[in-house]
Amino acid sequence: MIEIDYSTDLYSGTAIDSAVQVYSDYASFELDKTNEAYKVRITKTGEFDEKTIADEFSNYALGATIEERQSEARPAPEPVTGER
Amino acid sequence: MSDISTSHSGDALTLEFDEGLYPKDAVYGAAYIFIDRCYVHLDRPSPGRISVRLKLKEGVKRALDDLAGEFENEILGQAWRRQIIDENRELIEQVTTQALAGAAGPPGLDDLMSMDIDDDTAFEDPLGIAMSWEDKYKKKSKPSGESEEEEPEEPSPSGEPPTGEGKSSAAGSPR
Repeated sequence: MIEIDYSTDLYSGTAIDSAVQVYSDYASFELDKTNEAYKVRITKTGEFDEKTIADEFSNYALGATIEERQSEARPAPEPVTGER
Repeated sequence: MSDISTSHSGDALTLEFDEGLYPKDAVYGAAYIFIDRCYVHLDRPSPGRISVRLKLKEGVKRALDDLAGEFENEILGQAWRRQIIDENRELIEQVTTQALAGAAGPPGLDDLMSMDIDDDTAFEDPLGIAMSWEDKYKKKSKPSGESEEEEPEEPSPSGEPPTGEGKSSAAGSPR
């Protein structure tokens, strides 16, 4: 079992949830939250190396966090009406 | 403490940044670029500082120290790019708005149909182009008492021109 802390200030909870969904075929996950961090305990369920699963999980969570932040920062384009 | 500190731990490298110099968005931007080559993990070791742990993926033939230098260059570029965007945001928005307005072209039939046009909001028509022919050329009503004098005389049955007897001439001059 591997336990990783993800700072709540740097990682999005939604991104971690989506990473858990994606990697649920390869490992089981226990989630916990403190004021400073999301705590994720990873236990492999298949043939793949637990460390590799944990590293890939971290990358996925980070990528999803960054993409989420970018989509929030970018305002939705206003529809073009053609009015002058 | 310097603005960037580097430490090795086994097969991984940890870089620590001052958030005042390298904002969180710049760290995210650089981390996103390295995600294909490395396993990246972010942490906050102390308030105002962000640490980045880089671990090479299998099959990537690079030295960890080179990677540290590349990451530092990338984060500097990201921070600088964000500063340029912030400084020129207004100009970028203006240019984009103008480009979109130009690309929209003239309003289509649907747009015209959906416009709220009534007597108050209709366009001005100084030349009277929008006026109908009947409205523009219809006979004006004449004041009472003048109608008989101004009516043209009909020719007599013999074909002679009208004499004008009993009626004053148009100019009113004696004959």
